Amino acid sequence: MTTSDTRRDYLQNQKSSGRKLLGVFPAQFPRELLWAFNILPVEIWDPPVEIAQANAHLQPYICSIVRGGLELILQGKSSLVDGYLFPHTCDSLQNLASIVNDHLDTGKPCFFFYHPKAVDGQPAREFYRNQLTQLIDRLEQHFGSINIERLQECIQTSRRLYSQLNELFNLRKQGLLQITNSDFYATLRRSEFLWPTDYISELELLLTQKCVKPLPSRAVVLSGILPNPPEILSLLDQHKIRIAADDLLNGQRRMTFLPTNANDPLEAITDAYFAQPPCSTKDSAIAERLKHLQKLTVDSKSKGVIFNIIKFCEPELFDLPQLRAGLRSTGIPSLVIETEINQVLSGQIVTRLEAFLEMIGD
Amino acid sequence: MPNDYFAGIDVGSLSTEAVIVDSNKHLLSYSIVNTGINSSAAAEEALSEALQKAELPRNRIAKIIATGYGRAAVGAAHKRMTEITCHAAGAQQLFPEVRTVIDIGGQDSKVIHIGQDGQLVDFAMNDKCAAGTGRFLEIMAKRLEVKLEKLGDLALLAEKAVSISNTCTVFAESEVVSLVAQNHPIDEIIRGLHVAIVNRIWNQVQTVGVHGQVALTGGVALNRGVVNLLEEKLEQTLEIYSEPQIVGALGAAILASK
Ligand SMILES: Nc1ncnc2c1ncn2[C@@H]1O[C@H](COP(=O)(O)OP(=O)(O)OP(=O)(O)O)[C@@H](O)[C@H]1O
Ligand code: SF4
Ligand SMILES: [Mg+2]
Repeated sequence: MTTSDTRRDYLQNQKSSGRKLLGVFPAQFPRELLWAFNILPVEIWDPPVEIAQANAHLQPYICSIVRGGLELILQGKSSLVDGYLFPHTCDSLQNLASIVNDHLDTGKPCFFFYHPKAVDGQPAREFYRNQLTQLIDRLEQHFGSINIERLQECIQTSRRLYSQLNELFNLRKQGLLQITNSDFYATLRRSEFLWPTDYISELELLLTQKCVKPLPSRAVVLSGILPNPPEILSLLDQHKIRIAADDLLNGQRRMTFLPTNANDPLEAITDAYFAQPPCSTKDSAIAERLKHLQKLTVDSKSKGVIFNIIKFCEPELFDLPQLRAGLRSTGIPSLVIETEINQVLSGQIVTRLEAFLEMIGD
Repeated sequence: MPNDYFAGIDVGSLSTEAVIVDSNKHLLSYSIVNTGINSSAAAEEALSEALQKAELPRNRIAKIIATGYGRAAVGAAHKRMTEITCHAAGAQQLFPEVRTVIDIGGQDSKVIHIGQDGQLVDFAMNDKCAAGTGRFLEIMAKRLEVKLEKLGDLALLAEKAVSISNTCTVFAESEVVSLVAQNHPIDEIIRGLHVAIVNRIWNQVQTVGVHGQVALTGGVALNRGVVNLLEEKLEQTLEIYSEPQIVGALGAAILASK
């Protein structure tokens, strides 16, 4: 059975049990709210589809995440979901949202989530809270009223889930988890479609892989959107290189910040969003991102940073030259590779990666 | 008798080289063969030829490092390293003052910044496409019915360069066809092609920066047109070994001897 089969079976079961499914595009959204509606968010990052029809709707310089997402819908392979949620991540995803909402007759509701780009100051917090309220209103129109007690419970579940993830990231940082890069990120990515309590059980299991003595391996930081294509991870595994910390949009940039214990559930969720590290898709200042990357590298005793850039990902490409120059000035080597999410690594990329590993030495 | 000889084998996309050095890193012999479709056979052939020239039996080689895009196919190798590290090591051995190495081969071009002890500091490498590589020049030479060895000299003889707007090899090829049809002098088209490839390399150079003296390695270093135009851009003379194609294999052999 392939992973996509098991994923589909799981989703089918969830649906049969009475849950609604929402196809969610990258990257930031208030999971707890959806859970409280008994909605399972099914994230759409890198669906395994051959891109054909989507090309007719998109310019050639659009990234493969948007291309793959649209293709999935066009091929009718997202029939299980009861609607779509488009967070406001970047212009390309915004564009996708309007193609799907305005021009494709999917027969399913589309929801939008405009999280603020500027992340400091009271107005930004108010804006965010306001977006949460609006999303609740829209969801209520389709899925019935939200139950506040349930929301409180979901926030507690979320706190457990993210605490466990934090502990795992922490162990990875110290080399105290007996697991390959490939297996670790495969598990991390199961959060994209598992119901939180099911996911917590998997994380608990993973936590038993804890070891006492640090494993001998050199460490790097991986930055970018996704840990794709997965061959990057296996290549690092082959060379005994551990990703000791990541700055991935679908990793530590969004997966380590738990809601607080604030009495007001919306306040608790807002706190989590505003505690997140800087990100290109939030228009964070480059200086902030640089400081964050330097800290990740030093704290995890990593030897360098690998920027894995999805081709045509404008937000990431924009920050890159300055980030690299900044890292270089503090003696942190970095490498840039440009990849497509579902393509095998070219010989050149393998050579670049291996040369970088030779460069950072034993 | 101690096994005190070391070999480097560079399986490139077009040519495969083997180099044998002694424990003092002195070059004993080398060979250059076509890679063809069978990388491991090419590696074997190159190694046998180099051994023969050095008059050494196989069992005197203590360690072999394979490099180049076909490095994985070299069964005899004790270790595999990228051509980036190996070209750096080879250039460092030949020209100790060099801090920047530009390797232009058949399908790849690389710019490498090396530190004082020969360690890699930074590098840039082209993407999949053949623009800015030796293959580009080969395709154009064929299209224009000019011998590859003559291409660079013809570029230097031209009074001016016809501008080539496409960097993509496939598009540039059809552009060349139409330029010929429009009666542009062949040597000016050829010079234009050299300008295009050097511009492409120059972009790569700039991402790494020019540090200290610069060496040019790989088969394209045999093309005087590219050398000349690149030197104009750099405003300095390039260090070029008499057999620029073997620098990667030499580096591999040196690293094997360490
Ligand atoms: N005599 C020559 N005169 C001019 N150019 C030459 C000559 N011989 C080879 N070249 C150029 O060198 C290129 C091949 O270089 P080289 O042998 O270094 O490549 P390679 O190592 O096989 O390839 P790669 O490193 O990209 O895998 C050819 O494409 C050609 O353009
Ligand atoms: S990869 Fe970049 S451009 Fe594509 S959807 Fe993500 S943030 Fe937007
Ligand atoms: Mg080569």
